[in-house]
Formats: sequence, structure tokens, C-alpha cells
Amino acid sequence: MRKLTNGQFAWLLMAPGMALFLAIIVYPLVAALVTGFFEQSLVRPGRTFVGLANFADLLGGDFWPVLRNTLVFTLGATVIPFLLGYALALALNSGLPGFLRGLFLFPWVIPGVVVSFLWLWIFNANYGVLNGLLGTEISWLGQPGTAMAAVIVTKTWASFPWMMVMLLAGLQTMPRELHEAAAVDGAGAIRRFRSVTVPHMKGIAGIVFLLEFIWNFQHFDTIYVLTGGGPAGATKTFAVAVYDTAFKGFDLGHATALGGLWMVLLLVLMVLYLRKEAS
Amino acid sequence: MTVTLSASVPTARTRRRSPVNRSRVAAWVAVVVIGLFGLAPIYWLVVTALTPDDRAFSFPPSLIPTEITFEHFARLAENPQLFQYLANSVIVSVITAILSVIVSAYMAYAFSKFRYRGRRSLMHLVLASQLFPQALLLVTLYAVFSATGLLGSYTALILSFTTFTLPLCVWMLKGIFDTVPSTLMEAAAIDGASRWRTLHTIALPLAAPGLIAAGLFAFVRAWNDFVFALTLADPARQTLPPGLVHTYLGEFQTAWPDLMAASFVVSLPVIAAFMFLQRYLVGGLTAGAVKG
Amino acid sequence: MNTLNRRDALRLLGLSTLGVTALAACAPDASGGTPQGDIAAKSFGFTSWSLNEEAQKAAVQAIVDGYAGSNGVKITAASFPYNEYLNQVTLKLRGGQLTGAIQLDVAWLGALAATGRLRDLATPAAKGGYTDVALSSGRTGGKQLGLPWTTGSIGLIANTGLLEKAGVDGMPATVAEFEAALRKVATLDGVIPYAAATKAAQLKDILPWMRTFGSPLLAEDQITVGDDPSVAAVEWYKKLYDAKLIAPDVDRFDARALFAQGKAAFYDDAIIARGVVEIQAPDKSLTAKMVPLSRPVLKAGDSPQALLWGHVIAVVEGEGADAAAEFAAHATSDTATVAAFFEKVKLPPTTTAGLADPKVSGDAFTTEWTEKITKTATANPFWRYAGYAQIETAIAEQVQAVLVGDSSAKEALAKATETAKDLQK
Repeated sequence: MRKLTNGQFAWLLMAPGMALFLAIIVYPLVAALVTGFFEQSLVRPGRTFVGLANFADLLGGDFWPVLRNTLVFTLGATVIPFLLGYALALALNSGLPGFLRGLFLFPWVIPGVVVSFLWLWIFNANYGVLNGLLGTEISWLGQPGTAMAAVIVTKTWASFPWMMVMLLAGLQTMPRELHEAAAVDGAGAIRRFRSVTVPHMKGIAGIVFLLEFIWNFQHFDTIYVLTGGGPAGATKTFAVAVYDTAFKGFDLGHATALGGLWMVLLLVLMVLYLRKEAS
Repeated sequence: MTVTLSASVPTARTRRRSPVNRSRVAAWVAVVVIGLFGLAPIYWLVVTALTPDDRAFSFPPSLIPTEITFEHFARLAENPQLFQYLANSVIVSVITAILSVIVSAYMAYAFSKFRYRGRRSLMHLVLASQLFPQALLLVTLYAVFSATGLLGSYTALILSFTTFTLPLCVWMLKGIFDTVPSTLMEAAAIDGASRWRTLHTIALPLAAPGLIAAGLFAFVRAWNDFVFALTLADPARQTLPPGLVHTYLGEFQTAWPDLMAASFVVSLPVIAAFMFLQRYLVGGLTAGAVKG
Repeated sequence: MNTLNRRDALRLLGLSTLGVTALAACAPDASGGTPQGDIAAKSFGFTSWSLNEEAQKAAVQAIVDGYAGSNGVKITAASFPYNEYLNQVTLKLRGGQLTGAIQLDVAWLGALAATGRLRDLATPAAKGGYTDVALSSGRTGGKQLGLPWTTGSIGLIANTGLLEKAGVDGMPATVAEFEAALRKVATLDGVIPYAAATKAAQLKDILPWMRTFGSPLLAEDQITVGDDPSVAAVEWYKKLYDAKLIAPDVDRFDARALFAQGKAAFYDDAIIARGVVEIQAPDKSLTAKMVPLSRPVLKAGDSPQALLWGHVIAVVEGEGADAAAEFAAHATSDTATVAAFFEKVKLPPTTTAGLADPKVSGDAFTTEWTEKITKTATANPFWRYAGYAQIETAIAEQVQAVLVGDSSAKEALAKATETAKDLQK
């Protein structure tokens, strides 16, 4: 053992993780990416190599509206819970009773499927409590504009607790002296927030935002349960499109090609982000 | 946004009284408004669970229930399968949490404290793997587990969930290990401790709160999953999300009040555990995740 | 941390390209495969979603236990939720993990036929005494791949109480009469005259209306959605929508709930509806006012349209297939078994003898339903395609676009057909 170099020791430590990673993510991932170049059905045996035909089909078709929906959903469902979580973290950090924090974790631990069904029940046009409360007859999930808003609200509800927890953790590491010094210098509350809190929180806030962004890009359950991608495709995101193509249309070729395009897109975003972070 | 500042206020004197109150008020307003948004749906879940079947669809719904029944809660007791799902969920989620912490702690430590070829590429690969639709992994993953004979077992679920949580856990824990000063480890090495021992006696204990936090995240991932749990586990080992759907959302009927009652009851133990562990959740993240 | 310079990016790219090329050749193709195992084995699996649904599980379990007990076979039951059932069965068939008998919705038969793993059950089908319409529901691509377990239809149901209150005399027989009746009902406060499906999931309910207006939907593999009659049907739907005679954001569950609350005069459902409405309705006399009616026709003398619906039991070729086929035949055609099953779950049987059993024929609602709706019911022509669900979705999405005012009926349906063409395989 003692003969191992540091590099070898590091690989030893990584071995279990890498083994899992290769078997459960990388191998299926590569197999799926390869499938994107074939015409392959989920139900019919056999497959034919078609080169880039699947990609060409997608880019010439529904790709762009789906991209638009995905971006709207992803941004909305990331920015809004982020702001709510941030505000709440700031509030809770100012010495409010600790049990409140626990209370807000409720939405986070209710199984995701149930969250979706709960909101489906709330938004229902004909007997939902939201219309009952407002005295309206709005078909929240039946119109393109409100349907997108509704799925974003639902996802926000499920996401803001964990973001709050992470951000609160960040706030609690902020050295008090920084604020005190700024206060003595006569900086007002807003100034202090901008010049002390924001820079201190940059790291954690960036991570929380990025992770939620990536997850929302992936997100499927809420949209599928609430609208199924409708009405008239207004909430059809990549995740819904991929699922429908693969498991309703049984068209693995196109589904995996769409997955490949989506991955390339995110990789570009990620590289840009990491570049910016580095400079 | 004056909210964070209340803690600093006592030290800076003069005109301090009113900002204290103002930031306190702002904090309470934020908590109440967001709290309303956060908890009103929970309230509605409970109210629905208490509504008799034949009143569940009346409109406008009464915000304060006029007629209450406990039959949906009573019915849960007659449904032993639901508790089997709960037990499966707990088994799978707890083991996933523990395994994730072990595997990702080693991996994160290797990323954080050693320099070797391929390190950076691997770190990026781990992160990039999050960028592909997971539903599509299922098709091949199914074949993989089928070929290894693990299909239908707890193991298949646990291994999958552990792997899916690796990127986040590794990332979090690497941040924490980055803050453990290398001098501590060098000192241990001088005292003759092996790298293996240094890791276990110095680094891991220092990172303990972070490990708990990572474990809780892994727990939630396993707890919430629907599609993988449904596909990879056989019916006797299915977890709550597919179990609840199966029991209450049928071909012909959605038993809303029963679904809500069941969801509420099965969430309670987890809420209790989280309430208890949340101080680690927050405390554990403070060390490393902040730096990123 | 995490600076990514060009060299890293290239390395990452290189790594993945290498991986792709290396594995491209050996990436698994788990589909296909030949039947394995002992065809004559005395133990087999039975996969059924009804086995776990509150309303039916006891009745289905009784059939399984009864058969296993008296025939000395071992039946291993498995179950998935209805909405995920087709995916799960498909994945498990691909992986060779599924043997024995499987319950299927008639709509799924085409998709699973494509796997080539289902046994042709022509022989037991010929001996079972099934009705013609029932047998047709289990047939696809010229093969009898399923034995019909229950055969019914999706048809219109009316609340006669509301119709009376609104002053509607007799059941509307033509589309014009139907629309007039809806307008009368609209004068009642808080009532949706026709709780037609307007959510994408069940907007396929518009297909029988397209047929009513005269579109064949599919003529010799040519999708005819987009022809004049189908455009007229959608324009009519849009007219009802704008006049608030049908409501937005309604799926079958919503429609049923509204009907149970006495807030919808008409809606489309399967025969099983009655049992569900019975549970949900605060007014316990409502089921007495529920009547099935033939779908109104465009002009008197046309044949009323209805969508065939039902469950079949199919058998996977391979391990235990012989015994599974015998079980399937018993469960679907043994008169005592099917009559007892009907008594518990109200799903109409599929054999002439079963339908004639007093337990079944004594049920007026069922008899009326069979007479007025199932008799002229026809299968959805898109079911023969594996991707039928996506074809339906393509049409549903475009009809939705018309309803919300994004598109004209003509443009929308032309676009739907364009999309659907690519899915005909």
C-alpha cells in the first residue's frame, strides 16, 4: 500500500464511484447517443443506420418552439424560487425562530408526484380551490399563457425550500464584522446588502442557481402531470418531447437524437459559464 | 432586503432602534407572505384528506371544511400495502443516503487533495453527465440490470439513485474538503499517519456536518423518484411514489381524498427527521458549499 | 475552481468521441430475441393493472386464485399503474422479463403486436363463443392476439334530471337537435351542458364526432383528418367552446366529477362510469337519472358513431405459454366466471353466453348500453400503428390550438396530418 503514488491512491479512492458512474450513467448514455444515429423502435426488433437524418428531421421541425418553451420554463422556474428562497433565507437569518425553517421543508419532502397532483387539484378550472378563492372561472391549465405560469408556480413551490436552505447556509458563514464595519462607515442597509452580502454569497448563489437550472432543464413530472405539454404544445419542453417520442411514439432514434441535441446545447452553456467564472 | 442586517445592529449605536424594528417587520412580512404560498397548499391537502368523497368535487369549495370525515385516514390502516411501500421507500432512501455519502466522500477527497492526470476532465465529465435526459438512460439501464440479474431488487434502485446523486454530492463535498487546510494533513503525515488514516481520522470528522447534508440530499433524490423506482423495482419492492400512483390513480378513478390523506401521513416521519436534522443541513453546508 | 481551458475542453471532447466510437459497435440492442423457456411449463405470470386497482383487485384476484387452485398451476401476478402500464410492459417484453398472460387495453394491441412476441390465439378464440364485435377488438394485422375480456364502448351519457329541468324533450338524435338541447341546458345556472374532453389527453374523443360529420379518419393508410367533414367537426366543436356549451380544461376524470355533481348534462365515458359516479355523487338518486344515448348523427338515418373500448388478455410466446393461454380462455369465456366478474365490477362480458346470463341481462343499464352504443361501435383506426398515441396527440394538440384561437381548423388539421404521417409505422 505504501508504495502507491498519490495519483494511484486518488484513483483507488475514486474506484467505487467511477465504477458506478461508468456502469449506470456513462454506458447507457453512450448507448443512447449512438441510437440517435439509427432508426430504431422501442417495440420493433432491429435497427437501421440513418446517419444524421434524425437530427435533420428535428432541426427542421418542432425543435425551435420546444427550445423556446424549455428556456421560458427553465428560467422562470429557476429565477422565481431563487428570489423567494433568497428573501426567505435573509428573513430567517435575522433571528426568527428556528422551527419556521423546518416548516418550510414540507414542500420539499412530499413526493414529487404528489406535489404535481396537489397542484393539479388546486388549479382545476371547474372545481379547483384557486378559482373558488378568487371567484373566477379561469382555465389555468387550459390556456397557453396561464398554463406555463401554472407549471412554473408549481415547480417554484417544490424548489424554493432547498434553495432557501442552501442560501441560508451561506448567509450563516458571513462574518458579522464585515457588516459591522460597513455600518460604522455609515453604509445604509441597501448599500451593505450590495457591497457585503452579495459578494459574500456569490459562490453559493451561483451553485444553487446553476444546479436548479440544470435540473429544471431536465424536469419532467410537474409538466407532464399538469398539462402533458399542452395546451396546443404551449408547455412542451425537451423532457416532455423526449418522453413522448420514446414512450408514446416508441421512436427511440428520434428521442435519443433529441436528447443528444439537448446535451450539446447544455454543454455549450456550461462551458460558457465556466469560462466566465474563470475570468 | 434590510433583513440580514438586524444581527449587526446592536453594535452600531445611535438611530438604531427604528432599523431594528423595521428589519424585523420586513423579515416577518417576507416570512408570512412566502409562508402563505408555501403552506396554503399543505393546508388544502389536509382539508381535502378530511373531505367526504361525495363533497370533494363541490364548487365553490369551502375553505374551512363544513363536513369532516376521518374515513380516509382510517382506510389507510386497512391498507397494509401502503406501509410496505413506506418501508421500501425508507430502506431504499436511507441506504442510498449512506452509500452516496461514502462513495462521494472518497471521490470528492481524491478530487480535492490530490493532483493527477485526468482529474479535471473527470470532474467535468461527472458534471456533464447531468445534462442528458435521464428517461433515456432507462432503456439501456434496464438491459444492464436485467443482464446482471439485479432487476427488481432494492440493489438496482439503490445503485441507480446513488449514482444519480454523485455529481451533486461530490461537488458539495469537494468544496468542503477544499476548506480543510492541507497543513493539517501534512502535519499528520509527519507524525507518520498513512494517507488512508489521515483521511479517516482528520478529514472526514472535520467534514461530518457536510456529510450529513449530502446524505439528506441523496435521501430526497431517492425518496422522490418515480420513473426509475417504477421500472427497476418489482411490485413488492416498489417505493411510495409509484405505490401511491398505483393505489389511488386508476384507469377509471382518481381517489383524491385518499391520495391526500396517504401523502400526508407518509410525509410526516420524513418531516420529523428533517426537522431534527436540519441544523446539520444548514450547518454542514456552511463550511464548503459556499466556496464552490 | 473549475476553470475550463481549451485543452480541457478538447480532452473532454476526445474522451467522449473515443467512448462513442468504442461502444458504437457493441451498444446493446435488447429488443427482439426469440421465445425461450418451456412452453408447456405449468407456471406462468399474469400481468394486470386491475390487480391493484381498488375497485377491481378482489374480483381479479378471485379469478386468479380460483383457476390456480383447481388446475394445479402456479400463477405469479404482477401489476403496474394504468398510465404507465404500456411503457412497463414494453420495456419488460424487450428485456425478455415478461412471460405468461397479460391484460391489455385494446388500444395497445397494435403497439405490442410490433414486438412479434405475442401468440396468435386463433384456436381458443374460435372455441370461446365470443361475439363478433368482441373478437374484432382483439384482432390486429390479421392475427387474433388477444382474447376479449370485456368489450364496451365510449359513448354519450346524459343526466335526464337536468334535461327535464331545462325543458329538453326526448333524447337528441341529430347534431342539430343536440346543439339545441345544449343551448337550452346552458340557461341553467352553473351547469356545463356538455363536459366534452378538451384536455389533450382525451381530446381523441373528438374522433367519433369527425366520423359523425363524415370523415373516415383513415382510408387505406391515408389519414383523412383535414378533409372537409373533419374540419366541419372541429369548427362545430369550436362553436360549442366559444358559446361555453363545452368547457376548457376538462378530461375524463373532470367530466365524470362534474357529472356526478349534477353540473354537466352530457359527457363521454365508458360503461364503468356508473359505478364511479355512484361513489362521487352527493345526490344518491343521480344514477337512476343516468342514461346512455346513441351519439347524435348528422342527418337522420346515419349510423351512430361510438368508439370501441375494452380489455383483452394476450399471451407472450415462451415459458408457460400453453397454460397461460388456457387461463386466458377460462378467464374470458367461462360463463360462471365472467358472470361473477360482471356482478362485482360491472364490466360487460364478451361471450354470447355471458351476455345472456341473467346476472348480466338483468342489468338494464348494461343492456341499454350494449344496444344503443356498443352495437355500432368501431375501433379507432389509428390503433393499428405502434405510435397511435402520438398520432392522437398530434391531432389533439392541433384541435386544442383551434379551441384556444391560435389557428383555423383547416390549417390546424392539415398540420396535424402532416405530423401524423411520419408516425404511421
